[in-house]
Amino acid sequence: MSTVGEWSEAAGELNAIVASFDEGEVSVDDLFAKLERATTIIETLEARLDATKAKVEELAPRLARVVEE
Amino acid sequence: MDSDSKPEGEQILEVGEFYQLLTAQLEAAYGRRFPRWIRGEVAKVYEKTHLYVDLVDAGSSANDSKRPVLNAHCWATQWNALKRRLASEGITLKPGAVVNVFGYVDLYAPQGRIGFTVTDIDVSGLLGDVARRRAELIARLQAEGLLEANKRRPLSPVPLRVGLVASPQTEGYNDFTGQLLHSGYGFEILLVTTTVQGDGAPAQIVSAIEALDAAGVDVICVVRGGGSKGDLACFDDERVARSIAAAQTPVFTGIGHTGDESVADLVAHTRAITPTKLGEELAGMVAQWRERNVRVPAQRLMNATEALLDEATEYVGERRRTMIFAVRDRLRSEQRHLVSVRERLAIQGRFVLESSARMLASSRQLLAAYDPHRRLTQGWSIVTTGDGTVVRSISDVQPGDLVHVRVSDGSFKSSVTEKNGVPS
Repeated sequence: MSTVGEWSEAAGELNAIVASFDEGEVSVDDLFAKLERATTIIETLEARLDATKAKVEELAPRLARVVEE
Repeated sequence: MDSDSKPEGEQILEVGEFYQLLTAQLEAAYGRRFPRWIRGEVAKVYEKTHLYVDLVDAGSSANDSKRPVLNAHCWATQWNALKRRLASEGITLKPGAVVNVFGYVDLYAPQGRIGFTVTDIDVSGLLGDVARRRAELIARLQAEGLLEANKRRPLSPVPLRVGLVASPQTEGYNDFTGQLLHSGYGFEILLVTTTVQGDGAPAQIVSAIEALDAAGVDVICVVRGGGSKGDLACFDDERVARSIAAAQTPVFTGIGHTGDESVADLVAHTRAITPTKLGEELAGMVAQWRERNVRVPAQRLMNATEALLDEATEYVGERRRTMIFAVRDRLRSEQRHLVSVRERLAIQGRFVLESSARMLASSRQLLAAYDPHRRLTQGWSIVTTGDGTVVRSISDVQPGDLVHVRVSDGSFKSSVTEKNGVPS
Protein backbone atom coordinates (compact mmCIF):
# COMPACT_ATOMS: atom_id res chain seq x y z
CA MET A 1 0.00 0.00 0.00
CA SER A 2 1.48 3.25 -1.16
CA THR A 3 1.66 6.25 1.24
CA VAL A 4 -1.02 8.90 1.21
CA GLY A 5 0.00 12.03 -0.64
CA GLU A 6 -0.60 15.71 0.19
CA TRP A 7 -4.17 16.72 0.99
CA SER A 8 -5.19 17.73 -2.49
CA GLU A 9 -3.49 14.71 -4.04
CA ALA A 10 -5.09 12.38 -1.49
CA ALA A 11 -8.48 14.04 -1.97
CA GLY A 12 -8.11 13.53 -5.74
CA GLU A 13 -7.34 9.86 -5.29
CA LEU A 14 -10.25 9.47 -2.88
CA ASN A 15 -12.61 11.25 -5.26
CA ALA A 16 -11.47 8.93 -8.06
CA ILE A 17 -12.24 5.86 -5.95
CA VAL A 18 -15.68 7.21 -5.06
CA ALA A 19 -16.31 8.06 -8.72
CA SER A 20 -15.35 4.51 -9.77
CA PHE A 21 -17.97 3.22 -7.34
CA ASP A 22 -20.55 5.70 -8.62
CA GLU A 23 -19.90 4.62 -12.18
CA GLY A 24 -20.04 0.93 -11.33
CA GLU A 25 -16.50 0.29 -12.43
CA VAL A 26 -15.44 -1.59 -9.33
CA SER A 27 -15.40 -5.36 -9.60
CA VAL A 28 -15.98 -7.46 -6.53
CA ASP A 29 -12.38 -8.62 -6.74
CA ASP A 30 -11.20 -4.98 -6.57
CA LEU A 31 -13.78 -3.82 -4.08
CA PHE A 32 -11.93 -4.70 -0.91
CA ALA A 33 -8.66 -3.25 -2.13
CA LYS A 34 -10.35 -0.01 -3.14
CA LEU A 35 -12.32 0.18 0.11
CA GLU A 36 -9.17 -0.44 2.10
CA ARG A 37 -7.31 2.27 0.20
CA ALA A 38 -10.19 4.71 0.60
CA THR A 39 -10.34 3.95 4.32
CA THR A 40 -6.60 4.52 4.65
CA ILE A 41 -6.89 7.85 2.86
CA ILE A 42 -9.87 8.96 4.94
CA GLU A 43 -8.20 7.99 8.21
CA THR A 44 -5.02 9.76 7.18
CA LEU A 45 -6.93 12.90 6.20
CA GLU A 46 -8.86 12.81 9.46
CA ALA A 47 -5.67 12.41 11.44
CA ARG A 48 -4.08 15.32 9.63
CA LEU A 49 -7.22 17.35 10.12
CA ASP A 50 -7.28 16.59 13.85
CA ALA A 51 -3.61 17.51 14.15
CA THR A 52 -4.21 20.75 12.27
CA LYS A 53 -7.24 21.53 14.45
CA ALA A 54 -5.15 20.97 17.56
CA LYS A 55 -2.49 23.35 16.30
CA VAL A 56 -5.13 25.90 15.35
CA GLU A 57 -6.65 25.58 18.81
CA GLU A 58 -3.25 26.44 20.25
CA LEU A 59 -2.92 29.50 18.04
CA ALA A 60 -6.54 30.65 18.20
CA PRO A 61 -6.28 32.38 21.59
CA ARG A 62 -3.27 34.34 20.38
CA LEU A 63 -5.11 35.46 17.27
CA ALA A 64 -8.20 36.19 19.36
CA ARG A 65 -6.17 38.48 21.58
CA VAL A 66 -5.01 40.39 18.50
CA VAL A 67 -8.62 40.71 17.35
CA GLU A 68 -10.01 41.68 20.74
CA GLU A 69 -7.33 44.17 21.79
CA MET B 1 14.62 143.26 31.63
CA ASP B 2 18.25 142.62 32.23
CA SER B 3 18.54 139.13 33.57
CA ASP B 4 21.95 139.86 34.95
CA SER B 5 20.69 142.46 37.38
CA LYS B 6 18.55 141.69 40.41
CA PRO B 7 15.15 143.44 40.36
CA GLU B 8 14.27 145.55 43.30
CA GLY B 9 12.50 143.67 46.06
CA GLU B 10 12.64 140.27 44.33
CA GLN B 11 13.70 137.35 46.56
CA ILE B 12 16.76 135.49 45.61
CA LEU B 13 16.19 131.67 45.95
CA GLU B 14 18.65 129.06 46.93
CA VAL B 15 18.94 126.10 44.52
CA GLY B 16 17.10 123.84 46.88
CA GLU B 17 14.39 126.45 47.34
CA PHE B 18 14.11 126.80 43.62
CA TYR B 19 13.70 123.04 43.20
CA GLN B 20 11.07 123.04 45.88
CA LEU B 21 9.22 125.78 44.04
CA LEU B 22 9.63 124.03 40.75
CA THR B 23 8.52 120.73 42.19
CA ALA B 24 5.48 122.36 43.69
CA GLN B 25 4.62 124.01 40.38
CA LEU B 26 5.12 120.80 38.40
CA GLU B 27 3.22 118.71 40.88
CA ALA B 28 0.39 121.20 40.80
CA ALA B 29 0.12 120.77 37.04
CA TYR B 30 1.57 117.32 36.24
CA GLY B 31 2.15 115.70 39.61
CA ARG B 32 0.83 112.52 41.18
CA ARG B 33 -2.68 113.95 41.38
CA PHE B 34 -2.66 114.93 37.71
CA PRO B 35 -1.34 111.93 35.79
CA ARG B 36 -1.31 112.03 32.01
CA TRP B 37 -0.94 109.69 29.07
CA ILE B 38 2.25 110.19 27.10
CA ARG B 39 2.97 108.49 23.79
CA GLY B 40 6.57 107.76 22.91
CA GLU B 41 8.95 105.40 21.19
CA VAL B 42 11.27 103.38 23.36
CA ALA B 43 14.79 104.66 22.75
CA LYS B 44 16.50 102.86 25.59
CA VAL B 45 15.21 100.36 28.12
CA TYR B 46 16.91 99.02 31.19
CA GLU B 47 15.57 96.88 33.97
CA LYS B 48 17.14 96.41 37.35
CA THR B 49 14.38 95.73 39.85
CA HIS B 50 12.79 98.88 38.50
CA LEU B 51 12.24 99.68 34.86
CA TYR B 52 14.06 102.59 33.27
CA VAL B 53 13.03 103.61 29.81
CA ASP B 54 13.86 106.61 27.66
CA LEU B 55 11.01 107.71 25.43
CA VAL B 56 11.33 109.92 22.39
CA ASP B 57 8.92 111.13 19.75
CA ALA B 58 7.93 108.24 17.54
CA GLY B 59 9.84 108.26 14.30
CA SER B 60 12.34 110.87 15.42
CA SER B 61 15.94 110.41 14.45
CA ALA B 62 18.52 109.30 16.96
CA ASN B 63 20.92 111.62 15.20
CA ASP B 64 18.84 114.59 16.12
CA SER B 65 20.74 115.93 19.10
CA LYS B 66 17.86 118.18 20.04
CA ARG B 67 15.07 115.67 20.09
CA PRO B 68 13.30 115.63 23.44
CA VAL B 69 13.79 112.63 25.70
CA LEU B 70 11.52 111.62 28.55
CA ASN B 71 13.39 109.72 31.24
CA ALA B 72 10.64 107.47 32.48
CA HIS B 73 10.83 104.89 35.15
CA CYS B 74 8.50 102.42 36.73
CA TRP B 75 9.08 101.40 40.27
CA ALA B 76 9.18 97.74 41.05
CA THR B 77 5.90 97.84 42.96
CA GLN B 78 4.10 98.75 39.75
CA TRP B 79 6.52 97.22 37.30
CA ASN B 80 6.19 93.64 38.53
CA ALA B 81 2.48 93.62 37.86
CA LEU B 82 2.85 95.43 34.55
CA LYS B 83 5.61 93.12 33.48
CA ARG B 84 3.42 90.07 34.05
CA ARG B 85 0.65 91.63 32.05
CA LEU B 86 2.94 92.48 29.16
CA ALA B 87 4.42 88.99 29.23
CA SER B 88 0.98 87.42 29.15
CA GLU B 89 0.33 89.31 25.93
CA GLY B 90 3.67 88.32 24.51
CA ILE B 91 5.02 91.83 24.63
CA THR B 92 8.55 92.77 25.46
CA LEU B 93 9.53 96.40 25.69
CA LYS B 94 12.24 96.83 23.12
CA PRO B 95 13.76 99.86 21.45
CA GLY B 96 11.53 100.94 18.61
CA ALA B 97 8.30 99.92 20.28
CA VAL B 98 5.79 102.72 20.54
CA VAL B 99 3.91 102.77 23.83
CA ASN B 100 1.46 104.88 25.72
CA VAL B 101 2.54 105.37 29.30
CA PHE B 102 0.43 106.78 32.09
CA GLY B 103 2.04 108.55 34.96
CA TYR B 104 3.18 111.81 36.39
CA VAL B 105 6.12 114.12 36.38
CA ASP B 106 8.65 114.14 39.13
CA LEU B 107 11.72 116.17 39.63
CA TYR B 108 14.91 114.63 40.92
CA ALA B 109 16.82 117.49 42.34
CA PRO B 110 20.11 115.72 43.09
CA GLN B 111 20.63 115.18 39.39
CA GLY B 112 18.60 118.10 38.24
CA ARG B 113 16.45 115.84 36.14
CA ILE B 114 12.80 115.86 35.33
CA GLY B 115 11.55 112.36 35.23
CA PHE B 116 8.28 110.56 34.59
CA THR B 117 6.94 107.94 36.92
CA VAL B 118 4.99 105.30 34.99
CA THR B 119 2.00 103.74 36.70
CA ASP B 120 0.42 102.06 33.69
CA ILE B 121 1.24 101.08 30.16
CA ASP B 122 -1.31 100.80 27.38
CA VAL B 123 -0.38 97.71 25.36
CA SER B 124 -3.14 97.94 22.77
CA GLY B 125 -0.80 99.68 20.40
CA LEU B 126 1.86 97.09 21.02
CA LEU B 127 -0.63 94.30 20.50
CA GLY B 128 -1.47 95.72 17.13
CA ASP B 129 2.18 95.80 16.34
CA VAL B 130 2.62 92.15 17.36
CA ALA B 131 -0.36 91.14 15.27
CA ARG B 132 0.95 93.10 12.30
CA ARG B 133 4.36 91.47 12.51
CA ARG B 134 2.75 88.06 12.85
CA ALA B 135 0.54 88.68 9.81
CA GLU B 136 3.56 89.86 7.83
CA LEU B 137 5.46 86.72 8.79
CA ILE B 138 2.58 84.49 7.73
CA ALA B 139 2.30 86.36 4.44
CA ARG B 140 6.03 85.89 3.79
CA LEU B 141 5.86 82.20 4.60
CA GLN B 142 2.86 81.82 2.34
CA ALA B 143 4.52 83.67 -0.51
CA GLU B 144 7.51 81.35 -0.23
CA GLY B 145 5.27 78.30 -0.16
CA LEU B 146 6.47 77.40 3.31
CA LEU B 147 3.04 77.05 4.90
CA GLU B 148 2.51 73.90 2.82
CA ALA B 149 6.09 72.63 2.64
CA ASN B 150 6.02 70.37 5.66
CA LYS B 151 2.48 69.23 4.90
CA ARG B 152 3.83 67.63 1.72
CA ARG B 153 6.25 65.42 3.66
CA PRO B 154 5.21 61.78 3.45
CA LEU B 155 3.91 60.52 6.74
CA SER B 156 4.60 57.01 7.98
CA PRO B 157 1.33 55.13 8.42
CA VAL B 158 2.69 53.84 11.72
CA PRO B 159 4.51 56.77 13.35
CA LEU B 160 5.98 54.88 16.28
CA ARG B 161 9.39 56.60 16.35
CA VAL B 162 8.49 59.97 17.79
CA GLY B 163 10.95 62.82 18.02
CA LEU B 164 9.82 65.08 20.82
CA VAL B 165 10.66 68.75 21.27
CA ALA B 166 9.52 69.64 24.75
CA SER B 167 10.47 70.55 28.25
CA PRO B 168 10.33 67.44 30.47
CA GLN B 169 8.17 67.36 33.57
CA THR B 170 5.96 70.10 32.24
CA GLU B 171 2.24 69.57 32.02
CA GLY B 172 2.28 69.52 28.24
CA TYR B 173 5.09 66.96 28.18
CA ASN B 174 3.31 64.73 30.68
CA ASP B 175 -0.02 65.03 28.88
CA PHE B 176 1.52 64.09 25.55
CA THR B 177 3.77 61.26 26.68
CA GLY B 178 0.99 59.94 28.93
CA GLN B 179 -1.24 59.44 25.89
CA LEU B 180 1.48 57.54 24.06
CA LEU B 181 2.44 55.37 27.01
CA HIS B 182 -1.14 54.51 27.89
CA SER B 183 -2.03 53.68 24.30
CA GLY B 184 -0.38 50.29 24.69
CA TYR B 185 1.54 50.68 21.45
CA GLY B 186 5.29 50.54 21.25
CA PHE B 187 6.03 54.20 20.79
CA GLU B 188 9.70 55.06 20.94
CA ILE B 189 10.20 58.60 22.10
CA LEU B 190 13.39 60.44 21.26
CA LEU B 191 13.35 63.58 23.39
CA VAL B 192 15.36 66.69 22.74
CA THR B 193 14.91 68.93 25.73
CA THR B 194 14.31 72.60 25.11
CA THR B 195 12.92 75.53 26.97
CA VAL B 196 9.53 76.34 25.56
CA GLN B 197 9.24 79.97 26.47
CA GLY B 198 11.44 82.97 26.67
CA ASP B 199 13.99 84.60 24.43
CA GLY B 200 16.24 81.56 24.24
CA ALA B 201 13.49 79.15 23.27
CA PRO B 202 13.35 79.69 19.48
CA ALA B 203 17.01 78.85 18.93
CA GLN B 204 16.73 75.73 21.08
CA ILE B 205 13.56 74.61 19.33
CA VAL B 206 15.16 75.10 15.92
CA SER B 207 18.21 73.13 17.00
CA ALA B 208 16.01 70.34 18.37
CA ILE B 209 13.96 70.10 15.17
CA GLU B 210 17.11 69.92 13.06
CA ALA B 211 18.62 67.23 15.29
CA LEU B 212 15.49 65.10 15.22
CA ASP B 213 15.11 65.60 11.48
CA ALA B 214 18.57 64.12 11.06
CA ALA B 215 17.82 61.28 13.48
CA GLY B 216 15.35 59.63 11.12
CA VAL B 217 12.30 59.61 13.35
CA ASP B 218 8.85 59.02 11.87
CA VAL B 219 7.42 62.27 13.15
CA ILE B 220 8.63 65.29 15.12
CA CYS B 221 6.26 66.55 17.77
CA VAL B 222 6.59 70.03 19.18
CA VAL B 223 4.75 70.10 22.46
CA ARG B 224 3.98 72.83 24.92
CA GLY B 225 1.16 73.15 27.41
CA GLY B 226 -1.04 76.14 27.84
CA GLY B 227 0.27 79.55 28.75
CA SER B 228 -0.06 83.22 28.11
CA LYS B 229 0.48 84.69 24.69
CA GLY B 230 3.86 85.79 25.90
CA ASP B 231 4.69 82.26 27.02
CA LEU B 232 3.76 80.94 23.60
CA ALA B 233 5.42 83.74 21.65
CA CYS B 234 8.42 81.58 20.77
CA PHE B 235 6.15 79.49 18.55
CA ASP B 236 5.41 82.58 16.47
CA ASP B 237 9.11 83.01 15.88
CA GLU B 238 10.17 83.08 12.25
CA ARG B 239 13.19 80.86 12.86
CA VAL B 240 10.97 78.15 14.33
CA ALA B 241 8.52 78.42 11.45
CA ARG B 242 11.28 78.15 8.86
CA SER B 243 12.90 75.18 10.57
CA ILE B 244 9.58 73.34 10.57
CA ALA B 245 9.06 74.13 6.89
CA ALA B 246 12.55 72.94 6.05
CA ALA B 247 12.31 69.69 7.98
CA GLN B 248 12.10 66.55 5.84
CA THR B 249 10.23 64.83 8.63
CA PRO B 250 6.56 65.65 9.24
CA VAL B 251 6.28 68.02 12.18
CA PHE B 252 3.22 67.82 14.43
CA THR B 253 2.39 70.51 16.94
CA GLY B 254 0.43 70.38 20.15
CA ILE B 255 0.88 73.83 21.58
CA GLY B 256 -1.16 75.62 24.18
CA HIS B 257 -4.87 75.40 24.74
CA THR B 258 -7.82 75.24 22.44
CA GLY B 259 -7.95 78.51 20.52
CA ASP B 260 -4.22 79.15 20.55
CA GLU B 261 -2.87 79.06 17.03
CA SER B 262 0.78 79.81 16.56
CA VAL B 263 2.68 80.33 13.35
CA ALA B 264 4.32 76.99 14.09
CA ASP B 265 0.85 75.42 14.00
CA LEU B 266 0.21 76.95 10.57
CA VAL B 267 3.49 75.67 9.14
CA ALA B 268 3.28 72.23 10.73
CA HIS B 269 2.25 69.08 8.90
CA THR B 270 -0.49 68.43 11.42
CA ARG B 271 -1.71 70.56 14.26
CA ALA B 272 -3.47 69.33 17.38
CA ILE B 273 -5.14 71.79 19.67
CA THR B 274 -3.41 70.51 22.81
CA PRO B 275 -0.56 68.14 23.72
CA THR B 276 -3.13 65.62 24.92
CA LYS B 277 -4.96 65.75 21.59
CA LEU B 278 -1.69 65.34 19.76
CA GLY B 279 -0.92 62.20 21.74
CA GLU B 280 -4.42 60.93 21.03
CA GLU B 281 -4.00 61.65 17.33
CA LEU B 282 -0.74 59.69 17.08
CA ALA B 283 -2.18 56.79 19.05
CA GLY B 284 -5.26 56.95 16.83
CA MET B 285 -3.15 56.75 13.68
CA VAL B 286 -1.40 53.66 14.97
CA ALA B 287 -4.73 52.21 16.06
CA GLN B 288 -6.19 52.77 12.60
CA TRP B 289 -3.18 51.19 10.96
CA ARG B 290 -3.40 48.25 13.34
CA GLU B 291 -7.12 47.90 12.64
CA ARG B 292 -6.53 47.82 8.89
CA ASN B 293 -3.35 45.79 8.83
CA VAL B 294 -3.48 43.59 11.90
CA ARG B 295 -6.88 43.17 13.53
CA VAL B 296 -9.05 42.86 10.41
CA PRO B 297 -6.62 40.47 8.67
CA ALA B 298 -6.37 38.45 11.89
CA GLN B 299 -10.16 38.27 12.05
CA ARG B 300 -10.30 37.22 8.41
CA LEU B 301 -7.61 34.64 9.04
CA MET B 302 -9.56 33.22 11.95
CA ASN B 303 -12.76 33.08 9.91
CA ALA B 304 -11.01 31.56 6.91
CA THR B 305 -9.25 28.97 9.06
CA GLU B 306 -12.50 28.02 10.71
CA ALA B 307 -14.26 27.79 7.36
CA LEU B 308 -11.44 25.75 5.85
CA LEU B 309 -11.39 23.31 8.73
CA ASP B 310 -15.18 23.04 8.65
CA GLU B 311 -15.06 22.39 4.92
CA ALA B 312 -12.31 19.80 5.27
CA THR B 313 -14.15 18.09 8.13
CA GLU B 314 -17.36 18.05 6.12
CA TYR B 315 -15.47 16.74 3.09
CA VAL B 316 -13.82 13.85 4.92
CA GLY B 317 -17.09 12.96 6.66
CA GLU B 318 -19.00 13.06 3.42
CA ARG B 319 -16.40 10.91 1.66
CA ARG B 320 -16.53 8.43 4.52
CA ARG B 321 -20.32 8.18 4.29
CA THR B 322 -20.17 7.98 0.52
CA MET B 323 -17.65 5.14 0.62
CA ILE B 324 -19.78 3.19 3.11
CA PHE B 325 -22.87 3.59 0.96
CA ALA B 326 -20.99 2.92 -2.27
CA VAL B 327 -19.50 -0.32 -0.98
CA ARG B 328 -22.81 -1.39 0.52
CA ASP B 329 -24.62 -0.64 -2.73
CA ARG B 330 -21.94 -2.41 -4.71
CA LEU B 331 -22.15 -5.53 -2.53
CA ARG B 332 -25.92 -5.49 -2.62
CA SER B 333 -25.78 -5.20 -6.38
CA GLU B 334 -23.48 -8.18 -6.61
CA GLN B 335 -25.67 -10.09 -4.21
CA ARG B 336 -28.73 -9.32 -6.29
CA HIS B 337 -26.84 -10.40 -9.38
CA LEU B 338 -25.86 -13.71 -7.81
CA VAL B 339 -29.40 -14.35 -6.64
CA SER B 340 -30.65 -13.57 -10.12
CA VAL B 341 -28.12 -15.89 -11.68
CA ARG B 342 -28.95 -18.58 -9.20
CA GLU B 343 -32.64 -18.24 -9.96
CA ARG B 344 -31.96 -18.29 -13.66
CA LEU B 345 -29.77 -21.37 -13.24
CA ALA B 346 -32.47 -23.13 -11.25
CA ILE B 347 -35.10 -22.41 -13.87
CA GLN B 348 -32.74 -23.41 -16.63
CA GLY B 349 -31.76 -26.60 -14.75
CA ARG B 350 -35.33 -27.65 -14.35
CA PHE B 351 -35.91 -27.06 -18.01
CA VAL B 352 -32.86 -29.07 -18.96
CA LEU B 353 -33.83 -31.90 -16.67
CA GLU B 354 -37.38 -31.97 -17.95
CA SER B 355 -36.19 -31.75 -21.51
CA SER B 356 -33.68 -34.50 -20.93
CA ALA B 357 -36.32 -36.61 -19.29
CA ARG B 358 -38.58 -36.10 -22.23
CA MET B 359 -35.81 -36.94 -24.64
CA LEU B 360 -34.89 -40.00 -22.59
CA ALA B 361 -38.46 -41.22 -22.62
CA SER B 362 -38.66 -40.76 -26.34
CA SER B 363 -35.40 -42.61 -26.80
CA ARG B 364 -36.60 -45.26 -24.51
CA GLN B 365 -39.76 -45.65 -26.62
CA LEU B 366 -37.69 -45.68 -29.78
CA LEU B 367 -35.36 -48.19 -28.27
CA ALA B 368 -38.25 -50.37 -27.29
CA ALA B 369 -39.53 -50.22 -30.80
CA TYR B 370 -36.24 -51.61 -31.98
CA ASP B 371 -35.87 -54.31 -29.30
CA PRO B 372 -34.63 -57.58 -31.15
CA HIS B 373 -36.39 -59.77 -28.68
CA ARG B 374 -39.67 -58.12 -29.58
CA ARG B 375 -38.90 -58.70 -33.27
CA LEU B 376 -38.01 -62.36 -32.62
CA THR B 377 -41.34 -62.87 -30.91
CA GLN B 378 -43.01 -61.40 -33.99
CA GLY B 379 -41.43 -64.23 -36.05
CA TRP B 380 -38.24 -62.58 -37.06
CA SER B 381 -34.91 -64.44 -36.62
CA ILE B 382 -31.26 -63.46 -36.60
CA VAL B 383 -28.90 -65.53 -38.78
CA THR B 384 -25.20 -65.40 -38.10
CA THR B 385 -22.26 -67.14 -39.70
CA GLY B 386 -19.94 -69.41 -37.89
CA ASP B 387 -17.83 -66.49 -36.74
CA GLY B 388 -20.86 -64.59 -35.41
CA THR B 389 -21.28 -62.19 -38.31
CA VAL B 390 -24.93 -61.25 -38.90
CA VAL B 391 -26.04 -62.46 -42.31
CA ARG B 392 -27.55 -59.48 -44.07
CA SER B 393 -27.21 -60.60 -47.69
CA ILE B 394 -27.21 -63.87 -49.69
CA SER B 395 -23.72 -62.91 -50.58
CA ASP B 396 -22.67 -63.41 -46.97
CA VAL B 397 -23.18 -67.18 -47.29
CA GLN B 398 -22.48 -69.93 -49.71
CA PRO B 399 -24.38 -73.12 -50.29
CA GLY B 400 -23.10 -75.63 -47.84
CA ASP B 401 -22.29 -73.06 -45.14
CA LEU B 402 -23.45 -73.88 -41.69
CA VAL B 403 -25.32 -70.95 -40.13
CA HIS B 404 -26.67 -70.19 -36.64
CA VAL B 405 -30.37 -69.16 -36.45
CA ARG B 406 -31.69 -67.36 -33.30
CA VAL B 407 -35.48 -67.21 -32.63
CA SER B 408 -37.53 -65.86 -29.72
CA ASP B 409 -37.22 -68.86 -27.50
CA GLY B 410 -33.88 -70.28 -28.62
CA SER B 411 -31.63 -71.09 -31.57
CA PHE B 412 -30.70 -73.85 -33.97
CA LYS B 413 -28.15 -74.58 -36.65
CA SER B 414 -28.98 -74.73 -40.31
CA SER B 415 -27.21 -75.54 -43.58
CA VAL B 416 -27.40 -73.34 -46.69
CA THR B 417 -28.54 -75.40 -49.61
CA GLU B 418 -29.53 -72.80 -52.13
CA LYS B 419 -29.36 -68.99 -52.63
CA ASN B 420 -32.12 -67.12 -54.38
CA GLY B 421 -32.00 -63.38 -54.81
CA VAL B 422 -35.06 -61.16 -54.44
CA PRO B 423 -36.07 -59.54 -57.73
CA SER B 424 -35.59 -55.76 -57.54
